[in-house]
Amino acid sequence: MSVLDFCKALYDSPIGTEIRESDNLFSAIETVHVLGIIGVAGTIAIADLRLLGLALRQVPVPQVLDPLVRITWVGFAVMAASGALLFWSEAQKLYGNPAFRLKLVLLVLAAGNAGLFHVTTYRSVAQWGGGPTTPAKARVAAVCSLTLWSAIIACGRAIAYR
Amino acid sequence: MKIGVSLLALFRSFEQTGISIAIRRSKWGFAAIEMIHLIALALFGASILVLALRTLGALMRDQPLARVSRSLAPWWVAGFGTMLCSGVLLVADGPLRYYANAAFRTKMALIGAAFLCSGVWYRAALRASAPGPASIGLRTAAALSLALWLAVGLAGRLIGVL
Repeated sequence: MSVLDFCKALYDSPIGTEIRESDNLFSAIETVHVLGIIGVAGTIAIADLRLLGLALRQVPVPQVLDPLVRITWVGFAVMAASGALLFWSEAQKLYGNPAFRLKLVLLVLAAGNAGLFHVTTYRSVAQWGGGPTTPAKARVAAVCSLTLWSAIIACGRAIAYR
Repeated sequence: MKIGVSLLALFRSFEQTGISIAIRRSKWGFAAIEMIHLIALALFGASILVLALRTLGALMRDQPLARVSRSLAPWWVAGFGTMLCSGVLLVADGPLRYYANAAFRTKMALIGAAFLCSGVWYRAALRASAPGPASIGLRTAAALSLALWLAVGLAGRLIGVL
């Protein structure tokens, strides 16, 4: 079965059809997905701003990042679930949608950027000192993160424009 | 009612402006403004959320609430300002259509209420210069503000539905 065949199967399935044809259900799922942006891109943005010394600069980095990352994980679960349901209902149309494909690529890049930062640069956070200055690699990761997530949000909006 | 008549007149004259005509002509212009509105939502929403969580004692408990408030203020101001400007431009796409939309009117009223509530919360937070838990009054103001801003978001989503 090809990827396109799988997308067609999802699209034609009872669940996919139900979500797509029900005005309220699709809108409700989409609302969760749109407001959920705050829980993922938003919390990540605040963490990035701390790494850039632009917000909460007097608070030691782990005191900012650790709780925010926990919120981001919860937010990510919500976004993945709502996103999967939205995809399920529109799978066949989304398969060829360039904005959707780009959004997936950017999501992988954003995850890679965050993962790399957490397993390398962030490991030494205890040695950074409590002040606003952070290692250059942390600031690079933060700028990449802000750029990628802004682009992801833009792609998400562009999906509806065919 | 006099206020009602002059509001309608305001929306009518807004429709005649160059910016309104330009936005109505450009589909991609409108899309770009929506993207900015959503990116600003992430920033604004997360700064308010983090401040609320500190007020409620869920994170950064050792940090004085006043410090966290001052530090995040530029970011929710920037976020709110961007949402306001982009929001005005979105309305420019069809001022009279928005004027007549019940969800839009409700959203504007809720923004007023949320803004007032947040103002009370913020001014009180600036005086909370000790670390540790915030007063019951502060926590109530924070929780109420969060609820009102969530209602703003939901009303915003309903604009497209009604």
